[in-house]
Amino acid sequence: MKPDADNIRKGVYAAVAVLWILAPLYLDKYWTDVLNNVAIYAVLGLSLNIILGYGGMFHMGHAAFFAIGAYTTAIVNTAWGVPVLWLMPFAGIAAGVFALAVARPIIHLRGDYLLIVTIGMVEIVRIALINNVFGITGGANGIFGISPPTVFGWKINGIVAPGHYFYLLTVFLGATIILFYLLEHSRFGRALKFTCSDEVAATGSGINAAGYKLAAFVIGAVWAGMTGTLYAAKIGFISPESFSFWESVIMFMIVILGGSGSIPGVLLGAILIIGLPEVFQGLQQYRLLIFGIVLVVMMIFRPQGILPPRPRKYPVDKFEKQEVSL
Amino acid sequence: MKKLLLLIVAAGFIAAGPPAAAQDTIKIGLMCPLTGSWAAEGQDMKQIVQLLAGQVNDRGGLLGKNVDVVIGDDGADPRTAALAAQRLATRDVSAVIGTYGSSVTEASQNIYASAGIIQIANGSTAVRLTEKDLPYFFRTCPRDDEQARVAVKTLMENNYEQIAILHDNTTYAKGLADETKKLLDDKNAEVVFFNALTPGEQDYTTILTKLKSDNPDVVFFTGYYPEAAMLLRQKRDMGWDVPFIGGDANNNPDLVKIAGKEAAAGFRFLSPPVPQDLPSAQARDFLSSYKGKYGSAPGSIWAVLAGDAFRVIVKAIEETGSTDTDKLADYLHNDLEAFPGLTGPIAFNEKGDRVGDVYRVYKVNAEGNFVLQE
Amino acid sequence: MEVFFTQLTNGLAVGGIYALIALGYTMVYGVLKLINFAHGDLFTIGAYLGLSLLTSLALTDHVGAAAGIVILAVMVMGLVGVIGILLDRAAYKPLRTSPRLSAVVSALGASIVFSNTVMLVYGPNPKVYPQGILPTTVFHVFGLPVPIMRFVILGASVILMIGLYVFIQRTKIGTAIRAAAIDQDAARLMGINVDRVIMLVFFIGPALGGAAGVMVGLYYGQIKFTMGWIYGLKAFTAAILGGIGNIPGAMVGGLLLGVIESLGAAYISMAWKDAIAFFVLILILIVRPTGLLGERVAEKV
Repeated sequence: MKPDADNIRKGVYAAVAVLWILAPLYLDKYWTDVLNNVAIYAVLGLSLNIILGYGGMFHMGHAAFFAIGAYTTAIVNTAWGVPVLWLMPFAGIAAGVFALAVARPIIHLRGDYLLIVTIGMVEIVRIALINNVFGITGGANGIFGISPPTVFGWKINGIVAPGHYFYLLTVFLGATIILFYLLEHSRFGRALKFTCSDEVAATGSGINAAGYKLAAFVIGAVWAGMTGTLYAAKIGFISPESFSFWESVIMFMIVILGGSGSIPGVLLGAILIIGLPEVFQGLQQYRLLIFGIVLVVMMIFRPQGILPPRPRKYPVDKFEKQEVSL
Repeated sequence: MKKLLLLIVAAGFIAAGPPAAAQDTIKIGLMCPLTGSWAAEGQDMKQIVQLLAGQVNDRGGLLGKNVDVVIGDDGADPRTAALAAQRLATRDVSAVIGTYGSSVTEASQNIYASAGIIQIANGSTAVRLTEKDLPYFFRTCPRDDEQARVAVKTLMENNYEQIAILHDNTTYAKGLADETKKLLDDKNAEVVFFNALTPGEQDYTTILTKLKSDNPDVVFFTGYYPEAAMLLRQKRDMGWDVPFIGGDANNNPDLVKIAGKEAAAGFRFLSPPVPQDLPSAQARDFLSSYKGKYGSAPGSIWAVLAGDAFRVIVKAIEETGSTDTDKLADYLHNDLEAFPGLTGPIAFNEKGDRVGDVYRVYKVNAEGNFVLQE
Repeated sequence: MEVFFTQLTNGLAVGGIYALIALGYTMVYGVLKLINFAHGDLFTIGAYLGLSLLTSLALTDHVGAAAGIVILAVMVMGLVGVIGILLDRAAYKPLRTSPRLSAVVSALGASIVFSNTVMLVYGPNPKVYPQGILPTTVFHVFGLPVPIMRFVILGASVILMIGLYVFIQRTKIGTAIRAAAIDQDAARLMGINVDRVIMLVFFIGPALGGAAGVMVGLYYGQIKFTMGWIYGLKAFTAAILGGIGNIPGAMVGGLLLGVIESLGAAYISMAWKDAIAFFVLILILIVRPTGLLGERVAEKV
């Protein structure tokens, strides 16, 4: 069989997946933990991708949903000792409900106006956390003593054994990739992308554009909230500065740099945006300067993102056959 | 243009490559904010620790080996700090110095603890850091509650009746403000104002106007020197002459530069003594070599405390003749007595906190110098 | 009541600076529909360059304070304007036909590069402008003490805004800029050199940011390498509040944002100041989705 582009790509994906899964065997704890961060931000990027990539909504406040998930987990876990993994759905629901409440009045805003509103949202959330809103967020100190997750009675401690946590995150990341792939190719995904590329035509075709956009916003938020659980349980301690506007910018860059609307692109974006500053650790105070230059250069060379979504293919032979049968 | 940029990037990657591994050295980690909003502190810390390490190596090293300082940038951000800690923990360091902010330190504490590495923080004053029974955690800086005690004593001695407390909602400043308020409430002193400004801004006249309308006898500002300097300057511009007292994050000569001598004069702050005010030979030597190498006196007291952390580690390794964590921790907890630090005598209690009366009151005089008050 | 008016003037003083930075922001946006996140850092560069020139040339000693500051501002505006053009060439021009958000990420990268370059060149410590250059006279308006510099800053913002407005509305080049803002291809067909127009916009916008940097340095005395990010975000907020792409809108948005912050801090909560400002912004945008003075045009994607 002649290797065509499709098979090569599949081969590369498989090789990367194998390399990823075996990573803790050949990497030390530090690089494994870098991959843990990559995995967390990859899931966050994928969840933002639904809003920004498929839905086309300029959303630069995703850290707000991440924060709500993480804080829900931290508060309930430290107050009542509920195991953290049980709290994942609750963290997701909390973030989703918040997103629903916030998004309803602002979803009709266009482009840059939506951008600043989402920035405002993430800043309001951060300021609320810092000011110890309702007396439960611990203010600037944050919340500490969040217990590590337990799977079948086995404690997975992200601090002591990043390699164990790596597999927990990998399972979640893998599930996310599969689910979002199915979503992308579902009726919902197609309608959402249609809405994004031409809202008027989509509405004309009977698509409830506002409804789909709102749904995308909520799905993205739920997923970011659930990721918040895994983040809080990993580091054992959360504080407001982990959920600043800059964190939202990082997620935004992951999606756009990798390739807006493309799952492999977002994954690569997470590897680059989270991994490169660590690769440059040896440069000490120069590392962010180089990181910034790399960012600009990559954007210039791949303006659509490094791995943009591939156009849908309609194989000619399929149509030819249909013609014959007519 | 594109080619030029590509070249720069390539150069960056080459420069980022791992340095050749040095054989047979004692590695000491330094975790500090080299980038981000506290880069000034981190770069000072790096300069001081590298200077001291160079001196140790010039003397013939430690246990016959060279000391190698391994640096991790924590970016003043908890997530980055956790990574920096994992990185240092995998680099075979015998002990780690740092870091600056309490929440940043907190994100790294458990990583060092589980890796069995001594950590000596230099600028993390939140009380709870040493309340976790971590056997390998120490700090050369005092705690917020200790500073609050001295602050309240100073406020009471001056018979201020209506006290305003202003913080900036950072872990450190809020902690100090909370502790101070608690003690003042116990003493039935009246706190007429308790609120936070937003750090990093330039214009605080709105806040000063509001403060003034509450008519306090004194303002205790628990935040950092850039904001304190702007407050002093704008307070002078408003023609308001209420006395200001600051916490130990104000001990930086830049304060006077920013505020101007006229506006800064009379400002008091609490701080561990700076090397300039210590009679010991170590402090004098350190000052002259620092000035010789970098051309000025060290800016921040926290960076000097990182230097003290380094010296304490060196002392412990020399005395125990080992880099074994348990031996070092045991020595630091039990045997280190009145070690002559750059910021006064150093000893640790069982929690790893620095013991003894560390705080002094400083006042800015008309020439803009910090004068130790007795 | 006296406190209220004092707080109002406090807010206007801060708002004047937001407005000045927002002018450059909105100008670039108007033509390119690009959110230039590096604009705040151009402002920082202006402040640092101003300090270098001020201390090395000692202009104010030779020609007096007022003339010296004007010359300084013009020099800084020229330099920052050139940096702006270079920034456009390096980071934005290759992305002119790409999706809009690609240029936003490039702008974020440029912002990281600029702020870290300033940190590496000038050091991470805050820098201080020499004192005693500006007059410290205090005026009394209806019994309220108002430092003269507040009038100067507000006046400078208003003059620059009017100048820019007249330039855009009344001159031939301004017409070309407006044409390019509406439809670049059509403008090209009308014989307008659109590349030249964009270059000019990328000179004027950053130059205004640079001028704001010098003014902040002179007035507040302290400059930090991180300040561009905060001021940039505020200026972006102000520009959106007024209706982005609209020059009087940037002015109105800047002043309004300053006043909202000041009154919010004074009467609602100091610690929640920025949250209050964003909340008001969101409310205004819900009612007027394109800002206060923004035109209701179909979005160009």
